Amino acid sequence: MRHWTPYLLVAPPVVVLASLVIYPLLYNVSLSLRNYRTGEFVGLHNFARALDDPQFFASLRATAVYVSGTLVIEVLLGLALALLVHRTIRSGWARTLVYLLFLIPMVTPPIAAGVIARLIYTPTYGVLNVLLERVGLIRTDILWLSEPLTAMFAVISVDVWQWMPFVFLVCFAGLQAVPIDTAEAARVDGADGWRLFRHIEYPYLRSLLLLVMVFRFTDTFRVFDHVQVLTGGGPGATTEFLSLYLYLIAFKFFNLSYAAALSLFVLFVTSVAFSVLSRYLGREVSE
Amino acid sequence: MRRRVSPWQVAAVAVLVVLTVLYLFPFYWMVVTALKPLVEFYRFPPTLLPVHATVEPFLSVLFARGYLVLLRNSLVACLTAVAAGMVVAMLIAYPVTRFPVPLAFRRGLMNWVLSLRFLPPIVVVIPFFDIVRKLGLYDSLLSLVLLYTVFSLPLTTWMLRGFLLEVPMEIEEAALVDGAGRFYAFFKILLPQLAPALLATGVITFALAWSEFMFAFILSATPRSQTFPIGVASLVTQFEIIWNEMAAVGTIAAVVPILLLLFARRYVLVALTFGAVREKA
Repeated sequence: MRHWTPYLLVAPPVVVLASLVIYPLLYNVSLSLRNYRTGEFVGLHNFARALDDPQFFASLRATAVYVSGTLVIEVLLGLALALLVHRTIRSGWARTLVYLLFLIPMVTPPIAAGVIARLIYTPTYGVLNVLLERVGLIRTDILWLSEPLTAMFAVISVDVWQWMPFVFLVCFAGLQAVPIDTAEAARVDGADGWRLFRHIEYPYLRSLLLLVMVFRFTDTFRVFDHVQVLTGGGPGATTEFLSLYLYLIAFKFFNLSYAAALSLFVLFVTSVAFSVLSRYLGREVSE
Repeated sequence: MRRRVSPWQVAAVAVLVVLTVLYLFPFYWMVVTALKPLVEFYRFPPTLLPVHATVEPFLSVLFARGYLVLLRNSLVACLTAVAAGMVVAMLIAYPVTRFPVPLAFRRGLMNWVLSLRFLPPIVVVIPFFDIVRKLGLYDSLLSLVLLYTVFSLPLTTWMLRGFLLEVPMEIEEAALVDGAGRFYAFFKILLPQLAPALLATGVITFALAWSEFMFAFILSATPRSQTFPIGVASLVTQFEIIWNEMAAVGTIAAVVPILLLLFARRYVLVALTFGAVREKA
């Protein structure tokens, strides 16, 4: 066995990857420094332009609302549910059933989730309005997708529906590592539900929660698919999140250079989140 | 002996029942809508079960609209990407786990591969679009296959690394001592051991590639290279939605990964968390 064999094996995939990832990223940097139409070098003009672009800031704000909304709801709901099920449901088959039930939304294509959401939120024929009218909560149709507030609610709800289960499953799996004796002893000593969580269960969940939050943050930050088919960024531009706005600039207004500049900002934010995670995962890989 | 039932247990069961409805009803509604004639869809109040159930919407999208071609495109692109991704991932995971490489090299490489998982697609697709157009590869399945391969790598590589670590090195070493080459040890000893895990990994990456939307949306223009999700999206966003057909394509798009992942269910959570969580079901 020669010592350079592993490097020889790794070389081709690394070269392929570099040409498919690093080259486009460098290409993006080059795009961002030019005028796309003329190809002329314009320095940081495209970056400066972002500072005067109210639509960019509106998009940034909408994204912030979307990301924080989904993140908070998903983590709180998923965690609470995991604790509830972990502490009360003992039967093995019931747990398996929950596991299977929650796998389904996670693997549903966002596009299909968009179809489902359309069938639910559409006025007149949407099943949600019919239900609410039946129960007597509303008299006239709510135009879910045409009002800024309810449209935001609708796109967030799809994300929560798909990914709260992820938070639940990860937390639930983490809770299985809590020694039953310790939890029992704490309970006998009179620890209430909150203390049990804070001092016994939370230490087992801390790093998993970080992991989940980085995954959910980066995924919601780049959200595109279901929003594109559900609201298309509307009404107005109220759900025009960063990826949708960038899509618009690059492929509708055809200013790839400005889009490239903005995309580098998206890349930067994501990289910061990733570096948090890799510091944590770096320890895990080191065995 | 009966255990006392606490109010929390009652609450938990109630919550789970509500959640079951919240999760299964939307799917039920989509399938039911797909099975209704359009006239019935417009009836008020809506029927919970189709009165005149028909598979016409499915046939109409697949044949009249020609979505069968999109289905084939998706199949070709995803299968090729899975196969290519598997080979590339093995070329990274095998040396990293089976050779005494420096820790910094191993960690750096695996971390770099992992970072691809977090690379926002929009950042890649903007330059890719320009490059692909200049190379004359716009609206071709090849450009999609390349991207799907790259974006399947983090998951595949990390899964393979986990599986390789679980197979004791002694098994191969025994073969090597017996005079077999490394090649033989890999293909005849290691690979059969890994087969079930490889299959599960392939199934999961296939399902994820199947669900991909943005790359196909931007890099394809005609049925020559459009994937199935593009067909779905065009039925959802058209001016006058044909509801039962939209539900039908949504059903087809969802059924494929759901069935596949129920089959590979043990590995889904492991895959989505890159091995940070091990759950059995």
